[in-house]
Amino acid sequence: MDEQTTLLEQIMAYDFALYDLQLFLDTHPSDANALRDYKMALEQSENLRRQYQAKYGPLTPRYLPNTTCWQWINDPWPWDPKGGMNNVVL
Amino acid sequence: MWFYEKKTQYPINIKKPDPRMAMNILTQYGGPNGELAASLRYLSQRFSMPTKETKAILNDIGTEELAHLEMIGTMVHQLMDKVPPKELEKLHVDTLYAVHGRAVYPSDSNGVPFTAAYIESMEDPIANLNENLAAEQKARATYDYLIRMADDPDVIDPLRFLREREVVHYQRFGEALRIVQEVMGKKKFY
Ligand SMILES: [Fe+2]
Repeated sequence: MDEQTTLLEQIMAYDFALYDLQLFLDTHPSDANALRDYKMALEQSENLRRQYQAKYGPLTPRYLPNTTCWQWINDPWPWDPKGGMNNVVL
Repeated sequence: MWFYEKKTQYPINIKKPDPRMAMNILTQYGGPNGELAASLRYLSQRFSMPTKETKAILNDIGTEELAHLEMIGTMVHQLMDKVPPKELEKLHVDTLYAVHGRAVYPSDSNGVPFTAAYIESMEDPIANLNENLAAEQKARATYDYLIRMADDPDVIDPLRFLREREVVHYQRFGEALRIVQEVMGKKKFY
């Protein structure tokens, strides 16, 4: 697995943990342990996200790299990991 | 994947309930030219888009339509809020009330439930983009009808905003069509 994919899968793991904790906290809003876990995972996710976006470009349109061109549209999109037009016969 | 933000795309604060108008606007929730159909159409079609520009525009308009679905749902909810059932009967909104109460359910104004038969998603991006131009124009026309029927500025304002967005989407889909046609013109196809 290349470095980009490894880093992305780490972010996905932390983000999934965050989402699962979010659901739990929705029905247990004063659970101190869950809140602590959420805080830890959030820090990890934000940190990895910073690294990823600086190296490989935006995960969301609200990350604006210091370039003259709009990077948001760039491949790969999640459903076409290889990018390009190979998957469609025009 | 998506992440929810606790705000609507445009402010909605309807102070005066109007169940008739709620019933009329409901078609933009779950009707043939509504926001749910729009969102599902573009988010399904994006998998067949051939270039980065067109993948992005289908993804991003499909996402914006979800925000519009939320706006329409908010309007229907506020227009129906706490209206007594007797009142609904007088205003002929009682048939919707009999089925769903004052809930927001994806149907058209006649109560016909949402169906994916309203949308198409084909492997041919030209077919998809032409469908989308028509869809945006139909949505715009629907907002025109709704604006003509409304008299409360709290209702007209967000409807005007939504109509303007359809105009912008129409424009972007026209550009997307041009991009795909240029790519096809360069590439050999049979
Ligand atoms: Fe639209």
